[in-house]
Amino acid sequence: MTTTAAPGGEGVSATTTSARPHHEGLAARRALRNARIRGAVFLAIGVYAFYLASSAFSTPASFLFRFFNTGQERFEIATSVGLLWLVSGLASALVGGLQLWRGAAFRWRPWLFVVIAPIVVAVFGALLDGTTANFTNVLRGSLELATPLTLGAMAGILSERSGMLNIALNGKMLVGACVSVIVGSVVLRFTGNVIVSTTIAIAAAMAVSGVLGLLLAWLGIRYKVDQIIAGTVINIGALGITNFLFLRVLGRNPEFNTPPTVAAMQLPILSDLPVVGPILFSLRPYVYIALVMMVVLTYFIYRTRWGLRLRASGEKPAAAGTVGINVIRIRYQALLLAGLICGLAGSYLPLATAGSFQMDMVAGKGFIALAAMIFGAWHPIGAFGAALVFGFADSAQALLSVLGVAVPPQLLNSVPYVITIVVVAGVVGRVRGPASAGQPYEQG
Amino acid sequence: MRLELRGITKRFPGVIANRDINLVVEPGEIHALLGENGAGKTTLMNVLFGLYKPDEGEILIDGKSVSFHDPGDAIAAGIGMVHQHFMLVPVFTVTENVMLGVESVRGPLGQQLDRPAARRRIIEISEAHNLRVDPDARVEDLPVGVRQRVEIIKTLYRRSDLLVLDEPTSVLTPQEDEELFEIMRSLKASGTSIVFITHKLNEAMGIADRITVLRAGRVIGTTTPEEASLEKLAEMMVGRRVSLVVEKKPAKPGATVLEVDDLVVRDDRGHVTVDGLDLQVRAGEIVAIAGVQGNGQTELVEAITGLRQPVGGTIRIQGKPVRHAPRAVLEAGVAHVPEDRLEDGCVPAFTIAENLVLNTYYRKPFANGPQLDRDAIEREATRLVQDFDIRTPSAFNPVSNLSGGNQQKVIVAREFSRPVHLLVAAQPTRGLDVGSIEYIHRRIVGKRDEGAAVLVVSTELDEVFALADRLAVMYQGKIVDVLDPAQATTQQVGLLMGGSRPVGIVEAEAAGGLTHVVTSGG
Ligand SMILES: Nc1ncnc2c1ncn2[C@@H]1O[C@H](COP(=O)(O)OP(=O)(O)OP(=O)(O)O)[C@@H](O)[C@H]1O
Ligand SMILES: [Mg+2]
Repeated sequence: MTTTAAPGGEGVSATTTSARPHHEGLAARRALRNARIRGAVFLAIGVYAFYLASSAFSTPASFLFRFFNTGQERFEIATSVGLLWLVSGLASALVGGLQLWRGAAFRWRPWLFVVIAPIVVAVFGALLDGTTANFTNVLRGSLELATPLTLGAMAGILSERSGMLNIALNGKMLVGACVSVIVGSVVLRFTGNVIVSTTIAIAAAMAVSGVLGLLLAWLGIRYKVDQIIAGTVINIGALGITNFLFLRVLGRNPEFNTPPTVAAMQLPILSDLPVVGPILFSLRPYVYIALVMMVVLTYFIYRTRWGLRLRASGEKPAAAGTVGINVIRIRYQALLLAGLICGLAGSYLPLATAGSFQMDMVAGKGFIALAAMIFGAWHPIGAFGAALVFGFADSAQALLSVLGVAVPPQLLNSVPYVITIVVVAGVVGRVRGPASAGQPYEQG
Repeated sequence: MRLELRGITKRFPGVIANRDINLVVEPGEIHALLGENGAGKTTLMNVLFGLYKPDEGEILIDGKSVSFHDPGDAIAAGIGMVHQHFMLVPVFTVTENVMLGVESVRGPLGQQLDRPAARRRIIEISEAHNLRVDPDARVEDLPVGVRQRVEIIKTLYRRSDLLVLDEPTSVLTPQEDEELFEIMRSLKASGTSIVFITHKLNEAMGIADRITVLRAGRVIGTTTPEEASLEKLAEMMVGRRVSLVVEKKPAKPGATVLEVDDLVVRDDRGHVTVDGLDLQVRAGEIVAIAGVQGNGQTELVEAITGLRQPVGGTIRIQGKPVRHAPRAVLEAGVAHVPEDRLEDGCVPAFTIAENLVLNTYYRKPFANGPQLDRDAIEREATRLVQDFDIRTPSAFNPVSNLSGGNQQKVIVAREFSRPVHLLVAAQPTRGLDVGSIEYIHRRIVGKRDEGAAVLVVSTELDEVFALADRLAVMYQGKIVDVLDPAQATTQQVGLLMGGSRPVGIVEAEAAGGLTHVVTSGG
């Protein structure tokens, strides 16, 4: 047996006769080297965190939690920024150590959370710079702010799984927002009933967005208009029309711009739980609808006949077509559903947060929803997770700006996108979207 | 099922793919359909399967006229089809692919997929007809031969009475062919009618009850294996006499062009498939690699052509190491006919002309700086379409509209039309008719005589024997033996391909637990 060195510097053990496993050794060594590098990186992060800790023990970091929805009872976790960094450092060092110890066999991806979560808290603590944060509100805000993104991402997943790119989420949400305000205001005036008017407002928003979804499908399927262009047209059209309505109708007649609002809902029993009650169980119904939708969609996409056909249409429509599946019909259905969901998402903005319609009030959330879809690997649960990350960043940023922390909000706002890029580019590895999304399908 | 096609005519812009075709398939009959590339076989079957509407004519099933609006109707009428290009969803499992369209469901809503039930039936079918397949494997991870089994299971799962197999053997190895014929016989015995499209005349002679030959969209005639002969069939197909053997002078090997040393390559799943392989190809010789699909040939070719980064070892072309950079490799004078023509060989949505200059478009005479010279491209394309007999109304049709064999000719034409030092051809005649095979074999030998080093990878023993000056057998990622084709027998090569060595040779490999023995050598 002889050993030679390839130009890359990796030892290649080569044999002239027969040694089955020589390549196996090679592959394993490569994996081991990667594992070592990864371990070293985690350790380095840990060391840096220790270094940050050393100078920050005197800076306090307190997180306040409300016990109950009512009353003033609260408890405070008072630590110091140094301690938070210390924990982060320990976590990183632990994972790094595990990685080095277990070598290539170590399944490191899930452990990333253990590294990242304390760092996020520590950064947050450091940014607070000695003031006290009401963490109950931050977490509530995360969930609330994640809701329109989650809904939008669900719409995106449905479309792309069927093979249609849906860049028009933003426009459909905008139209949904506008329609819900006008219809809600009018119905509220005539009936005086908040529940009825809200329901009708949302239904109207969904219907109009649904029609826009069908329009997108029609352009893309019937006329094979490039799906990105068709979506862009809808986005621009939606902006123009809603701006016009705002300037000419809503702005001059405030009675059209006073919709019913959707208040937070206290879930029986659960909302009385200490600490978690206010965070998880006293939110607006939209949040729960989004969560239910996430579960239902996961079930439908992965467990049902319709889901199988949907995915086949998005992956390889020709294969679906040759077993007698009507790909065109599935794509129309998916885009209709996506439109309905966009309408719901759009109505959230005025009815749940703003209380009225404003120009371009969606502010790119439809595109962020697309980012959440990709970040979540086209899976409803993954997309919800991604939306939560974005929601947390938004919520934390809102708090920091109220506290007057000296960080440019734009910088904080950009954090989720930086995370998305990093994650999509590297950590998740090869996330693959539906193979045929965006390609028109021709039936013989 | 008795199928009758009456007066079927199908026109495409510029082509009449089928003209007034009459064809009867009796119950329990294996009916072979032969014809040149572009003769209209696939089109006819697509008409039958409801993918195309015929412009004229009617389809009768058991004497009753039927009309299919989409494949769903055809499937419901008991017709199953294994398409020339597989219709499987790569990211789905075998079970999901098989059940797609006829899902078993359960649950209160009657919507939930019943995978276990489907899985059970797949296992039943695969046991009944000896179609070995893992129901939980993802299709993208499966070799072509197994994908085809999945396609057949798909049709059986739908209880087809008439099965259309469009060139099923063009992607199979000799053993797999034999397995397929077993399956076909077993289906026939259970009363299924089969339409079997092939370019391999001996297969048609071996298994068919009747043979119909198409040429230029017309039925030339129907015959039986008893009445026909290989020569007669070839002549019916092509319209002239075809020489079924390649004439070539002895090789005059020169300097070594390709040098592969202790190469180790992994496939997409990370398995090592090329495992310490050594190989030399010299100028003016044809080295043909025989081997059962999936023994590392694909990865070897990809490594040589710079498409895949090896994990170890070296590849040199004319003394220079190959980098993981396909353009650098092709500029170094390497031509490559890839194994998967639609995936790696061409851009199906581009025109024939565009595909013909896909590796030279950026240079003179096809480009002036950043601008393409449309006229030059057109002239070249027209010339190649003529030379290589690509059957198309014009050079500006998209390649996706060509028949399978003509798509292959586009790739071969492109790769053979520039001067090269090394030609790497993987399955160069896959899916070609006898006339075209004859032609391409002559071109390959011509390349050799021009002084190029030629590496042919093929699972067809006939082809390997016809072309090789030296015959290398690849098994489990290694070259297990290099033979002189004049001395070797198909029997011997078949055994080596299966991993066994003729008695008397060192038992080093056998120690690795190689037991599979090939019984027939094609
Ligand atoms: N969708 C299409 N649009 C236009 N022309 C087509 C289309 N499909 C097939 N053709 C043309 O019809 C003719 C018959 O093609 P077909 O695919 O039926 O040939 P084939 O006999 O199956 O050949 P092969 O053996 O190469 O697969 C060819 O000239 C082809 O270019
Ligand atoms: Mg064909």
